[in-house]
Amino acid sequence: MIRIVKRCAWLTALLMLAACGTERAELAPTFEQAAEEAAQTTVNFYLWGGDDGINRYLDEFVAPRLEAAYDIELNRVPMDTAEFVRQVSLDKRAERANGTIDLMWINGDNFRNAAEADLLREDILDAIPNAALLNETAQATDAGIPTEGLEVAWGNVQFVLHYDADKVKNPPETFDQLRRWTEENPGRFTYPEVTDFTGNAFIRHLLYAEYGDAMRDMDTIPDEFWDELAAWSPNLWKRGETYPKSLAQLDQLYASGEVWMTMGFNERRAEAEVNAGVFPDGTRALVLDHSISSTHFLAIPFNAPNPNGAVVVIEELLSPEAQLMKQSDTYWGDGTSLDVEKLDQTDREAFLALDEGVTYPDPIELAERQIADYGPDVIDLVREGWPRVAR
Amino acid sequence: MSRVNVVISSLITLLPLTAVLFLLREAVGTDVWSLVQDETWRASLAVTLYVTLVSTFLSLVIGTICARMVYVNGRTWLSFWLNWPLFVPHIASAYLFYLLFSGGFPGFGLIASNERHHLVVILTYVWKEVPFVFLMMLGSYAQLNRGYRDMAKTLQLSPWQQFSVAEWPFLIKPLLDSFWILVAFISFAYEVPALLGVTFPKLLGVLAYDRLTTGLFLNESEAYAVALIWALILFAGVLLSYALTAKRRRRIERGVRR
Repeated sequence: MIRIVKRCAWLTALLMLAACGTERAELAPTFEQAAEEAAQTTVNFYLWGGDDGINRYLDEFVAPRLEAAYDIELNRVPMDTAEFVRQVSLDKRAERANGTIDLMWINGDNFRNAAEADLLREDILDAIPNAALLNETAQATDAGIPTEGLEVAWGNVQFVLHYDADKVKNPPETFDQLRRWTEENPGRFTYPEVTDFTGNAFIRHLLYAEYGDAMRDMDTIPDEFWDELAAWSPNLWKRGETYPKSLAQLDQLYASGEVWMTMGFNERRAEAEVNAGVFPDGTRALVLDHSISSTHFLAIPFNAPNPNGAVVVIEELLSPEAQLMKQSDTYWGDGTSLDVEKLDQTDREAFLALDEGVTYPDPIELAERQIADYGPDVIDLVREGWPRVAR
Repeated sequence: MSRVNVVISSLITLLPLTAVLFLLREAVGTDVWSLVQDETWRASLAVTLYVTLVSTFLSLVIGTICARMVYVNGRTWLSFWLNWPLFVPHIASAYLFYLLFSGGFPGFGLIASNERHHLVVILTYVWKEVPFVFLMMLGSYAQLNRGYRDMAKTLQLSPWQQFSVAEWPFLIKPLLDSFWILVAFISFAYEVPALLGVTFPKLLGVLAYDRLTTGLFLNESEAYAVALIWALILFAGVLLSYALTAKRRRRIERGVRR
């Protein structure tokens, strides 16, 4: 009997240990100390895993460099952003001081949710020497919300469409023309559901085409907008009865030739896909009336078990070499978040010398048509209003 | 040793209870009435019932027929072929059927994935669950007392009567077991309908996950409430169906022992 009681006590003790964790891990005062503390540890990096180029960039380029320079192992965990933000928010409610996520990739409404729920570490910007090189405009706000040092800009991109020039002979130049083009080519265009980051952004472009900056002050999206969108549906893929659940699914439809256009944040994203033979050779960029520019960020959750390691990883990800490789067409083609003017001459020239890809849009045109995002409130309005279009 | 087993099995029994308690805690504060009136959830429930019941029914019928063919007609090669789908995970089979039916398949146009009739979803489930039912029923057929069949034959009953008198009563219990396992699984599963379903209406599992993970609904409890209500409905269904057949099953079981 006593043995059983003892056993139960052990079990309870073990369970409690597992449940509570210990103290919240603290950040070292200087970067050098952080790097020292972080040696021989693993950093759990949670991020959206739907792009092969991004995954390969981290696994094949960043991870070996971290291993060699800092003796840190990078554990990339692919997951939908909203899902791991939820995980951290559950940790917060359970008062779990020692979580599982060290570093996460985040922006837009997910950042707003995380910031509102107090899920992010505040003291990180000072700990990262390379943060001094950041483009200050990009770092200042995230989709209209001040970042307040809760996250660090990792990349800066713009929204573009891509089309297959072998199939689309007269590409549309405005969103209006795009609509007329789908009338002539029914079933060859679609966009992801608005629960998807990209699908939601596409609708915000349509909103901008209709209402411009006035939308920023509007509390609701007028019914006429949704009626018009619903009237467009029958000319889309599958007669608009269904939409791809994610950008990955839209890309797949585009790669198989079922639809003739795809879209996404990052004007350089198609280059690696074409080189790998996934996207058709005729893939070209399409910049319509305007293009939302978007910055994406890195953040450390409040209960990261290895914040020092996370700081070291951010430092490495912001290094000019890593940013240069990120922007080149080898893996990802993601625009740098650094201010090129702040770099020393060799680095600056290396950025300027990056090849122009065939799928890149005209940079001047892209810059001219750049607009700021509406922000999370409109993202929510789109999510609330859109479902009637898909009915 | 046996004590440890008792502890382990009671812990395992406690797991679903913990899950229900968790759901209950999270679902507190949901306006159930607005949930009932929400057209998206209602459409989801309707399509979930359609997909679940059709796939479960077809799987049960085909699985039982296959088991009977092996046991009664000696078609043992069937077991070889029916084993294969068991080794394919649901997500892989969903992808397999997506590749087959998203375009280019000979029957394309007639039946395609991502259509509101959900036929490819049903097909995927039938392909995956028939082997499961087959295995369950093969076990039951193996335990079947051959004497009943022989007697039915001697009495010169028609084949259908032979089945309904000498086999059917013994199949009720395993069929009921399989039915609830399949219904519970299919009605709230994610992978297959997420890949092969449509934007509207979504199956319950997909819609619940959507509502749970999109930023707008971060603090909303309705996904938990739906999961809880659905779990309770299934639980009630299980209790009711076993209570209604209890008398009959007991009589049969006694008969077998004698």
